[in-house]
Amino acid sequence: MMSCKEVADRASAVIDGELSGWEMVQMRLHLAMCRGCRHFLGQIRAVDQLASSVTELPPEALREEALSKLRADKK
Amino acid sequence: MRSDQRKELETVTRLRAGDRIAFNILFNRHTPSMIRVANTIVSSRAVAEDITQDTWLAVLKSIDGFEGRSSLAGWIFTILINKARTRARRDGRTVSFDEGGEDNNLDAAFDGHGRWKDKPELWDEITPERIVAGRNLAAHMSAAINELPPAQRAVIVLRVQEGLDPKEVCAALEITDSNLRVLLHRARLSLRDRIRTLTS
Ligand SMILES: [Zn+2]
Repeated sequence: MMSCKEVADRASAVIDGELSGWEMVQMRLHLAMCRGCRHFLGQIRAVDQLASSVTELPPEALREEALSKLRADKK
Repeated sequence: MRSDQRKELETVTRLRAGDRIAFNILFNRHTPSMIRVANTIVSSRAVAEDITQDTWLAVLKSIDGFEGRSSLAGWIFTILINKARTRARRDGRTVSFDEGGEDNNLDAAFDGHGRWKDKPELWDEITPERIVAGRNLAAHMSAAINELPPAQRAVIVLRVQEGLDPKEVCAALEITDSNLRVLLHRARLSLRDRIRTLTS
């Protein structure tokens, strides 16, 4: 039986789909019975979701400079 | 061919034709991440911006040579990282992502039988828009990512934010698959800690 610590150590592997079939079976068994680990996995998924939601604007000067250098190079 | 591959091919075709709109979309999507990744290798934000600009120039000039063996983003980030490495070497900096970064293990969270001492809570109200301590959680997350050790920061940006394939990330950063897994896991644990501290 997988312990909570073993589940937590494999949290990234679950999310990234890297667990072997047998480990996945053991993981599912544990998760079915353990709310703490279900929450922990949810937290790690939320971290990914928050990280993906970060949106920033690029510095405008950079775009203009890159394009004007390109034009200069083409001449 | 998958639909994202088809879309990418269309972008490449438009870039080759000098389509400004296609360039703008690509530039807006990747530039902030490119600056972040370059900044894990070179000494300052200003140098990272230089490298990013150089990379866009190289991308536009050599787009005809893009063969689609990697994703377009993978190709762009590989150019970026190579340029940043060259610059760092010239500045006498050593660059290696081949380390675990500072340790962030969860050992203290478990009792002697590997059970949670305090069971993790349900994060049902953790959304990017939620305001905590004057800023939304997406902004807090952005700050937290910037504070990660360089190698962890690079893998979070490339793998989670940019969605690059693990193989592409390993090749670009010159790290092994198991190293990537360790770095990514540690980064996620640090970021989780940060959000937990903010919201509890
Ligand atoms: Zn458990």
